[in-house]
Amino acid sequence: MNFKTPFLRLWGIPILLALATLVGLLAALIGDGLWDALSWLLLSSLVLVLVYYIAKANRKA
Amino acid sequence: MGRPVDDDFQMSSLFKENNYGNIKKCKTLVWWHKWTSLICTLFLLLLCVTGLPLVFHEEIDDLSKTKKEEMNPNGQTEQASLDVVLANGKKAQPNKVTRFVFWDDEDPSVVYLSLSDSLTAPPENYKILQMNAYTGELEEQLKVDEGFMHIMLQLHTDLFLGIGGKLFLGLMGILFIIAIISGVVLYGPIMKKYDFGMIRNEKSRRLKWLDMHNLLGIVALFWTFVVGFTGVINTLSDVVLGLWQQGQLAEMTAPYSDAKPLHPDSLYSLELATKTAVKAAPHMGLRIIAMPGTMFTSKHHYAVFMKGNTPLTSRLLMPALVDAKTGKLTDMRKMPWYVNALFLSEPLHFGDYGGLPLKMVWALLDIITIAILITGLYLWVSRLKASKAQLARLDNKSPVLVQEELNHEF
Repeated sequence: MNFKTPFLRLWGIPILLALATLVGLLAALIGDGLWDALSWLLLSSLVLVLVYYIAKANRKA
Repeated sequence: MGRPVDDDFQMSSLFKENNYGNIKKCKTLVWWHKWTSLICTLFLLLLCVTGLPLVFHEEIDDLSKTKKEEMNPNGQTEQASLDVVLANGKKAQPNKVTRFVFWDDEDPSVVYLSLSDSLTAPPENYKILQMNAYTGELEEQLKVDEGFMHIMLQLHTDLFLGIGGKLFLGLMGILFIIAIISGVVLYGPIMKKYDFGMIRNEKSRRLKWLDMHNLLGIVALFWTFVVGFTGVINTLSDVVLGLWQQGQLAEMTAPYSDAKPLHPDSLYSLELATKTAVKAAPHMGLRIIAMPGTMFTSKHHYAVFMKGNTPLTSRLLMPALVDAKTGKLTDMRKMPWYVNALFLSEPLHFGDYGGLPLKMVWALLDIITIAILITGLYLWVSRLKASKAQLARLDNKSPVLVQEELNHEF
């Protein structure tokens, strides 16, 4: 991802991930069905981000 | 002089580049991060490992439970009278008293009785009878204080040490939270010059593990914070219960403080008392009933705890106190904020509020937390080794030089 300012370059992705976690944690509390699905999607995105960056580093090596 | 380049800790290059104030700030943060982590790491590892099977405790418990279809072969919808359920429980365990009646969130075909030697026996003195909600018959006596899951639960909540162990784990949780916060604040200066997700795996194992520690930590940050924080709140459950007993419960039952105790055989019908409570809160469901004289009610009341019908409000209970002699509703109130905070922190800690997929994500994030703890521990151990090796090299030098080198080590 491309962030313009130094602050966003450093904190942009961490802030997005924290927001995804926050919404993901609350979604399943608020409702069932689609809300649950939203929660699964957002929280599993954390795991996918990790897999992506670890795979990227391993490819380079 | 200095260490080999590939063993270089990022902080030292950081110190060189920043001004003196920042160096001091970073040193303080490193100190806090190091020590709060070190003290809590082993306990946190224990909590993460025991927490892993506990995430799936419902699924694991279900393996040994009677299947729903077997319990309700005729597709009945009419529930048995709670008086019948109570009487059948008494028949099965004549020397015990029922303290609590409670329901399963998922399964309307069962109702549970919690029986103890006496109304005032300690909390851990109980047996659970699983009753058929349609026939009122005893299905089976659940094994509660044995087996693998029981050991996991005890290790996770109080290390088998009771309330002292519980509060101790709460303290470890607070250290964990300080470690998380100091870790995030350190993430800023460490990653200032690098891209997100950088893992330098070509230089040294130490650098690779450091980058992994930073990446795993920042990605799981908010989840670990929430689960850690709600875990700490859960350790305060006994404190919260005490506050509620002294506060709202005492207020609600104040008119009865001088009333004579009730004879256990002269109680009003539980079934009718429950119907009164349900009528007072028609949009809510039954969660748990506390029998008169137990810790969740007065000596003169059935406390019928009603739950809401959304995932959120089903966690927030509302007690309806029904006079156990006359069957009249005495009072019904929303619980105070500190009890609701405890109730809400339960799902956010357990991850049991969004079906099996949420539990699986919970387990994955739990494993990621274990990886953060282990990489952190590795970083500390390898740092210790490096320092020792350096001390050995410094052995032949003058004390002044040694001191200078040590100063450099923060």
